[in-house]
Amino acid sequence: MNESHDDTIEALLRQQFEGPVADDGFSERLMQQLPPRRCRTAWPMWLGVLIGVAACWICLANVPLLDAGWRDWLAGELSMPVISMWLTMAFMSLLALGWGLADSRDR
Amino acid sequence: MADSAAEARIDQALVTRIRLDGDRCAFEQLVRRNQGMVRAQLRRLLHGDEAMADDLAQEAFILAWRKLDQFRGEARFSSWLYRIAYTCFLQAHRIPSKHDSVDGEMIEQLQAPTHAIDLQLDLERAMQRLSAAEQAVLLHCVQLGLSHEEAAYVLAMPLGTVKTHAARGKAKLKTWLADWRDARTEKAS
Repeated sequence: MNESHDDTIEALLRQQFEGPVADDGFSERLMQQLPPRRCRTAWPMWLGVLIGVAACWICLANVPLLDAGWRDWLAGELSMPVISMWLTMAFMSLLALGWGLADSRDR
Repeated sequence: MADSAAEARIDQALVTRIRLDGDRCAFEQLVRRNQGMVRAQLRRLLHGDEAMADDLAQEAFILAWRKLDQFRGEARFSSWLYRIAYTCFLQAHRIPSKHDSVDGEMIEQLQAPTHAIDLQLDLERAMQRLSAAEQAVLLHCVQLGLSHEEAAYVLAMPLGTVKTHAARGKAKLKTWLADWRDARTEKAS
């Protein structure tokens, strides 16, 4: 395709375009009809977090490793179950941190 | 280029103010900054129907106000507005209206500005002969000055399709307006 003629067509199209429309009271009329802004309520999120934590607790309460880890931690013993539990918690925290950072970068 | 980046940053700052405390003045500034081009976009899409274009522009801005939390900044705010306006146009276009029943001759009368020169009239007619997708792509890429990527975002089309429509639309215009080029070449020689 001839590039210079492409440019001519583009120039003609730009010339044909009238450009931005003058306001003429449009913004004012629009602002008068603008509905009040709805505030995003936080309670559904916290309810979800609460339900999630409760579900995790119910599922994991009878896992022997976690049970032993929790008891040893309270007793102040640095046993294998305690270290496993800490490592799991650290891994989950890092995962959440990574997710949060990726999400904030997208925004 | 730097100017448009600065404009986008100002829009982004205004969006942040609205998100933080629902600042209506910040939204008014956004409207004032963007209404001209959004209304121009809709007027072109609606072949000069100013009343309908303004109604759709109003609908688009109110939608933007309601859905501002969904703007994630992956595109410029102006592109996001163009996209909402184009969606409003498509939705309105699905409902048969009195505008659709206007015949071709009437459309030509509506579109033809009294001061237009013949070449512009021919270009206008040639544009009408393009497919709706080609018209939309040329409007956004050439007349509104968006990049192919931005036009793909606004029109919700794959990038390759946008490029194809742009090239095909320009090729058709080139063929249909060939007589003007030939006449000009003859005049020059």
